[in-house]
Amino acid sequence: MAMIQTIAASPDEIYDIELEHSLLEANAQLAKENRALLDRNGVTAIDVMGAIGSGKTTLIGQLVERLKDRFGVAVFNGDATTCTDADLIANQSVPVVQIATINGCHLDANLVGKALGKVNLEKLRLIFIENIGNLICPAEFPLGSKARVVVVSVTEGPYMVRKHPHMFLGAQLVVINKIDLAEAMGVSVAELTQDVHKLKPDLRVIATSCKAGDGLDEVTAALLAV
Amino acid sequence: MHELSIASAVVESVLEFVSAHSVKKVLAVRLAIGELTHIEADQLRFCYTAITEQTPIQDSALEIETVEAVVRCERCSYYGGPKYWDDALSAGPIPTLQCPDCGATVEAIEGTDCAIKSIRFVAQDEGLTIPAA
Repeated sequence: MAMIQTIAASPDEIYDIELEHSLLEANAQLAKENRALLDRNGVTAIDVMGAIGSGKTTLIGQLVERLKDRFGVAVFNGDATTCTDADLIANQSVPVVQIATINGCHLDANLVGKALGKVNLEKLRLIFIENIGNLICPAEFPLGSKARVVVVSVTEGPYMVRKHPHMFLGAQLVVINKIDLAEAMGVSVAELTQDVHKLKPDLRVIATSCKAGDGLDEVTAALLAV
Repeated sequence: MHELSIASAVVESVLEFVSAHSVKKVLAVRLAIGELTHIEADQLRFCYTAITEQTPIQDSALEIETVEAVVRCERCSYYGGPKYWDDALSAGPIPTLQCPDCGATVEAIEGTDCAIKSIRFVAQDEGLTIPAA
């Protein structure tokens, strides 16, 4: 209970009131509640972030394919407007919830909390949350996931990591995707990896080609270990 | 534009403050933004001005200060400012989570929040109740 003190103000007197009111706290609190609900049900949520076209949906699709026969998997697809990604995943016969942000640039814990109400958590062990294709905005908004994965692809050029440093500071895993195109793009996977480690030395980086299947066993194992 | 979400949260909090207290006019709202966040001050000011139009806090100023990052290293016990990546070809040095002393990954202690520090306002001529600091 906060102490309340009362003072009498003179007319038109100017006051400076210290507040220390966090603007990120409301979302962080909801994220904690999401996490507690997931933990109670033994479900792990993985937040997948990355630019449009980096391969988030394809990566999630491949991981779902590998895991869905072992235990319950669901996917939340965040998208500003369309349902195309959700439709792709739904073809795999796992529960899919489309989260439309209606032009919002990131998912937040409130929206994810609502989506959690749409699935039967007792039947699930893993939920992939596909964030909006944006490498800036989601950084400030935790969702309640156990791990945040950033997907970058070599087709985004050699400077993707240093252009969006904040995204990597809060991540637990980085996937460098489309390595089958690295040579054609003239982009070095080793240099992208070095950039990641300049920002956060112990951040795990796995190089993949979601199309050819390279690196996906490693990603699967890494996510099961979080 | 997550600045719009942040600006909305600022305005909501300030309007709540105004309706709960004897406030004649809000002059300024002071924000503290952590160096490790990705919140852009100019965009935030732009959003704030746009949202506060036609509200009781229209014309109030949004003053923004940066809170410098502080990190702690578990391996070598370093405590202090972060290591900056100077040659990243970016507009300014990028704060990192690499220990300036031993190179291990550090934990961010300060510089990750965005908070309303204070509100400056003109009081009505009635009694004023404020929470103690």
